[in-house]
Amino acid sequence: MKDQEIDGLLKKAGRAPHDLAPEILQRVADSIKPSLHPVRPLPPTCVMTCGLVLVCAAVSLAGAARAGFFGLEKMDFLERSLIFPVLVLLAWLAGSEFAHAMIPGSLRRISSRALLGFGCAALLILFAFLFRDYHTDHFFSIGIVCLLTGFLHAIPAALLGWLVLRRGFAVNSVSAGLAAGTLGGLAGVGVLELHCPNFQAAHVLVWHVAVVPLSGAAGAFVAWMLRSWAGFGSQERITPE
Amino acid sequence: MHPDPNLEILMARYQQGDYDAATDLIEQTGPRLHRFFLAQSQSRQDADDLLQETWLRIHKVRHTFRAGEPALPWFYAIARHVRVDHYRKSLSTAVGQRQLEAMANEVAAVPRESDHADGLDALLAPLSASQREVIEMMKVAGMSLEEVARATSSSVGSVKQKVHRAYKKLRVTMSGAGFRTGQSGEQS
Repeated sequence: MKDQEIDGLLKKAGRAPHDLAPEILQRVADSIKPSLHPVRPLPPTCVMTCGLVLVCAAVSLAGAARAGFFGLEKMDFLERSLIFPVLVLLAWLAGSEFAHAMIPGSLRRISSRALLGFGCAALLILFAFLFRDYHTDHFFSIGIVCLLTGFLHAIPAALLGWLVLRRGFAVNSVSAGLAAGTLGGLAGVGVLELHCPNFQAAHVLVWHVAVVPLSGAAGAFVAWMLRSWAGFGSQERITPE
Repeated sequence: MHPDPNLEILMARYQQGDYDAATDLIEQTGPRLHRFFLAQSQSRQDADDLLQETWLRIHKVRHTFRAGEPALPWFYAIARHVRVDHYRKSLSTAVGQRQLEAMANEVAAVPRESDHADGLDALLAPLSASQREVIEMMKVAGMSLEEVARATSSSVGSVKQKVHRAYKKLRVTMSGAGFRTGQSGEQS
């Protein structure tokens, strides 16, 4: 059987009249009538993305201003001119995907999981290229501090990002949470790059980059939890037969 | 199918609070969405409830539609969300997304009630829920690959792959069952 024949069968079956009780449509129309008032549509995606990138930059700068710009001071010109533009670019990509995740019917160019993978891979390649000091001193004790510092700054960045997009509607909340977490994680990496003067390759590659997947996973988990609570809190639990 | 300019104009008027535009939209999209739910659910009652729930959700988030964007994928994205939400709420707490989809597939494989076992249902019966969804959107709702990708929050490539696999399955099933053009839903 040829594809054209299947096409024909499907189209013919799809054209068959579909009976839907007019009362149902009338009921729907009646139910929305009392609350039918003008609404302001969401702004363009680029405006929302801009807002998200600015939030990220603000959190990174505020965090580093509080802790000190020791990392920035120690960096040479090449490091500064590569790390921060790449972070801004990744934040733009993450912000754009987060904004798309909050608009139903929006075309996703990259999934949230792929975004997280791409972000981590880009940072790993960049840091591996820039940092060649392969000594490791106090790998775990210093590393954990950096990871926590980055993560603690990722939380406000993700929350503020959520605030920027609060009027949106996520059809897949876990995916939106993952994108929000990834964006927050990038803000956390921004704080670490501005603040942390430890340029040992292993430290930067492991502990700085780890902020992004940790924040992404946390964002997805929180979204999953909220969805579960909302779902099971509002309806009776039905046990499958 | 190209974005329906009529739907987009109606959406813009609906956002401005025009009741006539809202009723026109309900009349135009209602049967399509109802058919979409009917192809995925077990009973007409479920489909009726889902349609009403979807419209309440559409009404609540109508500000998320933006002029210049196609309206149909926006409607279907919300309808799809409501359907998934409905299944999720109906299932026990410890079910993960993967298990959920598998259960939705099982539900989809259950023989339908006779009141809506029309030709399309019979044709799509061998497909998984996700394949049925994209075929239903493309062939019945007349959406393009990009519009289906928008509605399902996936990439165009992923939709293409699902359609390809669905057609492969349909070719095998229909050839085996002896379907011929012009005899939809019947065996020759």
